[in-house]
Amino acid sequence: MSAHRLISNKTSPQALPNSDYPLEYEYYEYGPVSFEGLKAHKYSIVIGFWVGLAVFVIFMFFVLTLLTKTGAPHQGNTEPSEKRFHVSSFVADFGKPLESDKVFSRQVAEESRSLFHFSINEAEHLGKVKQSLKAPGLDSNTRFQEGPRSSGRLEEDLNYLPKFNIPNFVNTDQNSSLGEDDLLISEPPIVFESKPVIQTSHQILD
Amino acid sequence: FVSYNIVNLIKSAKIIQRQTHVPSSENISNLSMNSDCTQVVVPEEVFFTIATAGILENLLVLIAVIKNKNLHLPMYLFICSLSVSDMLVSLYKTVENILIILCKMGYLTPRGDFETKIDDVMDSLFILSLLGSVFSLLAIAADRYITIFYALQYHNIMTLNRALIILAVIWAFCAGSGIAMTIFSHETATVISFTILFPFMLIFILCLYIHMFLLARSHAKQIASLPTRAVPQRVNMKGAITLTIFFGVFLCCWGPFLLHILLMKFCPLNPYCTCYMSIFHVNATLILCNGIIDPMIYAFRSPELRSTLKKMICCTRWKLKEGF
Repeated sequence: MSAHRLISNKTSPQALPNSDYPLEYEYYEYGPVSFEGLKAHKYSIVIGFWVGLAVFVIFMFFVLTLLTKTGAPHQGNTEPSEKRFHVSSFVADFGKPLESDKVFSRQVAEESRSLFHFSINEAEHLGKVKQSLKAPGLDSNTRFQEGPRSSGRLEEDLNYLPKFNIPNFVNTDQNSSLGEDDLLISEPPIVFESKPVIQTSHQILD
Repeated sequence: FVSYNIVNLIKSAKIIQRQTHVPSSENISNLSMNSDCTQVVVPEEVFFTIATAGILENLLVLIAVIKNKNLHLPMYLFICSLSVSDMLVSLYKTVENILIILCKMGYLTPRGDFETKIDDVMDSLFILSLLGSVFSLLAIAADRYITIFYALQYHNIMTLNRALIILAVIWAFCAGSGIAMTIFSHETATVISFTILFPFMLIFILCLYIHMFLLARSHAKQIASLPTRAVPQRVNMKGAITLTIFFGVFLCCWGPFLLHILLMKFCPLNPYCTCYMSIFHVNATLILCNGIIDPMIYAFRSPELRSTLKKMICCTRWKLKEGF
């Protein structure tokens, strides 16, 4: 009986003030909740949740930036350069010690050249792979069925090949099928402006 | 809304408990005057504005992808799927607000059969769009992962047909889950599985992105072995910021709502929980904001899509000028 009265209280909208009816309805559904004797602040869950969320996001950000800092540039720079220096100095022991620097710089330039040549070769290889898909599809193999369509994509991919802007660290364009070489191609051109080798490779890509 | 269904069944289960509280039922109004947590009301104009902005923005993304033949690629298909699910969430909120307004004006009775059926349909639509949103994010992350780690075979692995099949499976699963969860909304297992699904998906997506991030870092280290130092810091800071934005937005927009559902299931009568649940409309607004922010951090990052949009806007402006 009293339960019916409770229900009838809830289902008669006219008795309620002119606030949002469903809101009041939801509120009454939770029954009488006594707010006396609360030890903590009443919004403690709200505050705790948002503070926890903010701390977690900031923590994640710091972990990610720390990941970038371990193996930091100066560390990464000194280790291989030290190795090369040791190798070059070992080699140079039999020759003139002054040439160790030249050997080092030559090795560095060679490596950078080889990195870019590798990426250029990758691009050419990719082009060849795609051109091989252009072969007329005589059989019903799905790979060849996609030939004509991928050839259309080949042109647009070659058009997009030079445009390597990475707004985020993942290149979301389809031309990022070069994948891990993207980072080598896009970022260094800004840095290695003075090196003629890299300039020519960049012009090839442009 | 989901809360109505679950609340209906909580009410029927606890009707005996309430009988013991009857003497204080007259004091409900008194209690509401005391130091309780009143519902934080967000004006409906704000809801409508945010929901409409979300719908329009996602519609723009869809139109841009459909119009530009260059964007008929698996990656953009997944971004479209994300836009569709965000649009559904905004649409759901808009229709719900309209229904509430109709309720207030008295055209609908809150307990009628028709209204509860509409309520059920809306609930399943909401769960469908919520799950679709999460699975689309997963698909986008997996697509980027394959792009980076299986770069040369990407075109063979992720063909357009396969992407369409994946999307069909995802949306069928989401629709089935939506209907199932709406039917079994009173079961504890439903709520638990719903709220556990999200952390798992999130952690999985996080692992994919962190693996990609570590690869970017190792490449940056290779570059760092060359004389200059400026590059790798920039690449990795950008990566760290991007990842933080992805997950920060997702957690901030969906987290409060999930906590609300958990609290509603497990401690509806606790005063702290009630205070948290009183800010429900703010949490719903955050979900709508997610629909606005997602296109900005996923779709509009692509230069091709941006240029398509600029062309569309310029074309319409030109046509308007010609018209005048």
